[in-house]
Amino acid sequence: MFEARLVQGSLLKKVQEALKDIVQEASWDCTSSGLSLQAMDGSHVSLVQLTLRADGFEKYRCDRNLAMGINMGSMSKILKCAGNDDVITLKAEDTSDRLELMFESPKGEKISNYEMKLMDLDCEQLGIPDQEYSCSIKMPSHEFARICRDLSQIGECVVITCTKDGVQFSAKGDMGSGTVKMSQNLGAEKEDDQVTIEMTEPVQLTFAIKYLNMFTKATSLSGSVCLSMSNDVPLVVEYKVEDMGHIKYFLAPKIEDEDNDD
Amino acid sequence: MGILGLSKLIFDKAPSAVKENSIKNYFGRKVAIDASMAVYQFLIAIRQDGNQLTNDEGEVTSHIAGLFYRTIRLLENGIKPVFVFDGKPPQMKSGELAKRAERREEAEKQLAKAQETGESQDVEKFSRRLVKVTKEHMFDCKKLLRLMGVPVVEAPTEAEAQCATLVKSGKVYATATEDMDALTFHSNRLLRHMTFSEARKMPIQEFVYDRVLSEMEFTHEQFVDLCILLGCDYCEHIRGIGPKRAFDLLKQHKSIEKILQSIDTKKYTVPEDWVYKEARQLFLQPDVSEASNVELKWTEPDVEGIVKFMVEEKGFNEDRIRNGIKKIEKSRQTSTQGRLDDFFKVMPSTPKTKRKSDTKIKSESAKKKAKTSFKRGK
Repeated sequence: MFEARLVQGSLLKKVQEALKDIVQEASWDCTSSGLSLQAMDGSHVSLVQLTLRADGFEKYRCDRNLAMGINMGSMSKILKCAGNDDVITLKAEDTSDRLELMFESPKGEKISNYEMKLMDLDCEQLGIPDQEYSCSIKMPSHEFARICRDLSQIGECVVITCTKDGVQFSAKGDMGSGTVKMSQNLGAEKEDDQVTIEMTEPVQLTFAIKYLNMFTKATSLSGSVCLSMSNDVPLVVEYKVEDMGHIKYFLAPKIEDEDNDD
Repeated sequence: MGILGLSKLIFDKAPSAVKENSIKNYFGRKVAIDASMAVYQFLIAIRQDGNQLTNDEGEVTSHIAGLFYRTIRLLENGIKPVFVFDGKPPQMKSGELAKRAERREEAEKQLAKAQETGESQDVEKFSRRLVKVTKEHMFDCKKLLRLMGVPVVEAPTEAEAQCATLVKSGKVYATATEDMDALTFHSNRLLRHMTFSEARKMPIQEFVYDRVLSEMEFTHEQFVDLCILLGCDYCEHIRGIGPKRAFDLLKQHKSIEKILQSIDTKKYTVPEDWVYKEARQLFLQPDVSEASNVELKWTEPDVEGIVKFMVEEKGFNEDRIRNGIKKIEKSRQTSTQGRLDDFFKVMPSTPKTKRKSDTKIKSESAKKKAKTSFKRGK
């Protein structure tokens, strides 16, 4: 038996919004420690990893490890039926091929029950090594979303350069080019508005903006976002999910080709 | 050609070893293409009103048209193709080749008959059966590929075996062919439908050999024996033993030697002087060039060279060819998108407790797929 009750149901709605553009189908792994999910997009360029710890739920029970294959489109449709203030409960029998979702309005006068068919998914899981990154940048999440959206008007790729002075995002395209620079800013009143840069080594990497624009769908989950980068490894974009977990996106950089003779 | 009924058997016995992907998912991958198979396909499939494409002199140009446009399609999708050509056929294939020659003669006769009676459908059918890849076709193809800056590898004998060596060494990601015997030569990944026309909208079918073995619970040697029992190009097979029985017998006895000791030879006629051991040897240790001696470089296309060859010699439309070349150049300019699975390793999948109803649905659809691809397999 699996059961998880989340008082702040809107969190689950936001998480779903943050996932659905990048993956169409994913397996939700339920264990006694919480819910987690790892999935690559179809082209194997990016990956999303979600963790929601058991202690973040009002009630959480998982007797046997479960892998629920979920069609993200169906999940979105059903979660749209939940109000923003609703309490959401997820339930599944160990051997069932269905997930039950219950939405309770805050005052308890309305209770909706939905049932969603699960799928048998055979997905590849990647082993992500723990690693130290040369640069780690924390900035307001809405700023990051804005930069990605703005630069996607200019070109398809963004070059992210991180030095001790700050972090620079630049794009080039047929019509011209654009650059946005963010400098460290520890004076901001609210912690979320601060820009902090921790760096051991300068880094410059190029990424396809369309993936970043999918990542920024998670903006509403958290006031700040953290980017971690090292040369020649995937970028990590991390959003905290309240104090119960996180959603991390990994994106493979663009690389120069060594097999091409020029 | 290839192994009789192998793909169907894999669909039945090891469904999780087969995946379908869009061609877009293979960007950044280097793929070894069995050139003879691809060229043969082009000669058969690229036609207008049932006839092969020809230039003003009446020379067939289906093969180079196919090669040119479909190679461009691969490049545009960020795939790096390597074309591997057959060398001399191994001695043991002579039996199979003689049979093919016989079938050709038969088809020729029937074509003549069909032409007499004027059955246009039959004429088309038999003329397709008469398609043969000649040395000149191959020469044209190699020349064109080199001009396009795409690497060409000449195998000492069988191209599939050479492709498998390249895959094993990690020089390329997979072998692209329709012939299933690339697996028998131990190519860990086999891609089908790679060189099909875009219009057919066929997804790429990917076979992962390790999974085939682990799901069938065979060793590589046992798998080779299975293929010999199913029927390969190099020797006869035992009459009366079909795919299912071959699979069960091998499960039980583990090798052809032991099967021979136990089966009723009255019921099943074992070919006289059966050379299965030699065939097995050929699969296990084929004659190939060491992968370390093969250098793969993708270079700038020789624009004027291609135009001279395609337009002046082969009579293609200059604008179209130049447009194609532009696409090649463009595909080289954009820096390559890295793949996440090149940075993070795929973890061995843990077998999950499958829900009964779902597995049933899956195997049914697999069967359906098996049926259609079986027809095309040859």
